[in-house]
Amino acid sequence: MEALPPPPDVAGVSLDGTEIYVITAAENAALCASTGVEAAQDGTAHPVYYYIATQVAMGKTVAGVCETCEFNVEDGPMMGSSGVVFQTPLQVDLPYRVRGEIMGLVRKRSKKLGVMDVLTYRLSLYDAAGAEVLQTENVWVLPRRELA
Amino acid sequence: MSAAVGDELKLFVVEAVSAKAMKEWAVFLRDPNPIHLDVAVVKAKGLGERVINQGPANVAYVMNMLLAAFPACRIARMDSRFVDNVYAGERLEAGGTVRAVDGNAVQCEVWLRADGGRPVIAGTATVLVE
Repeated sequence: MEALPPPPDVAGVSLDGTEIYVITAAENAALCASTGVEAAQDGTAHPVYYYIATQVAMGKTVAGVCETCEFNVEDGPMMGSSGVVFQTPLQVDLPYRVRGEIMGLVRKRSKKLGVMDVLTYRLSLYDAAGAEVLQTENVWVLPRRELA
Repeated sequence: MSAAVGDELKLFVVEAVSAKAMKEWAVFLRDPNPIHLDVAVVKAKGLGERVINQGPANVAYVMNMLLAAFPACRIARMDSRFVDNVYAGERLEAGGTVRAVDGNAVQCEVWLRADGGRPVIAGTATVLVE
């Protein structure tokens, strides 16, 4: 079997955000309602904001991350996995910042996709005092049908 | 709240995944990917006949299951593997099983299944109970 060309060397690319992200009480209530539950009354936000806050406030858009990996977002990146470790619960109406980086991009053959790049990136969310609130690691699958 | 290894967690059920909610999630995520919004795009890409739910929304259903199963708990960690897509109109069940208990930390195997039991998310979670 022919060797695959190497993927772009993207490990270490910064995803530090410049934007402050605030989970508003109103949006939290709307998100909770959209998933079939009521918002908590104690000021905590829905924990799925671990994903939303880090994605929205990281230093690149989804399309930008794909572009860094020389992948067109229109070709359909797929979520492979997502993990999170919370230090403290997320709160509404507090400012958060994101820091993170791309951990790696691995090219593989796939029975289903032909060839795919597996992108791993890690993001941390920090509160206004600089304390880490959570760390998340996401894996995306980038189909490379043109290499199959 | 007490939990024992082998306990089955009460199901969290979504009777029909809403295409309207997908439009809301496109705003929450600031991600206007048309596979969540436009069935014509889904068909053109050969991905099915209905719009596809956002993956993080599927994670949220599993989190709702945990928060209902363990009132006043805090989710300490969660790992989700995305196995398949969820389509508009599908009925979902989120559930889980207690796999270990260590003090107030309860480790669970968790899952989300679509119509007919098709796996959508497989994962693990640790919740801290009072």
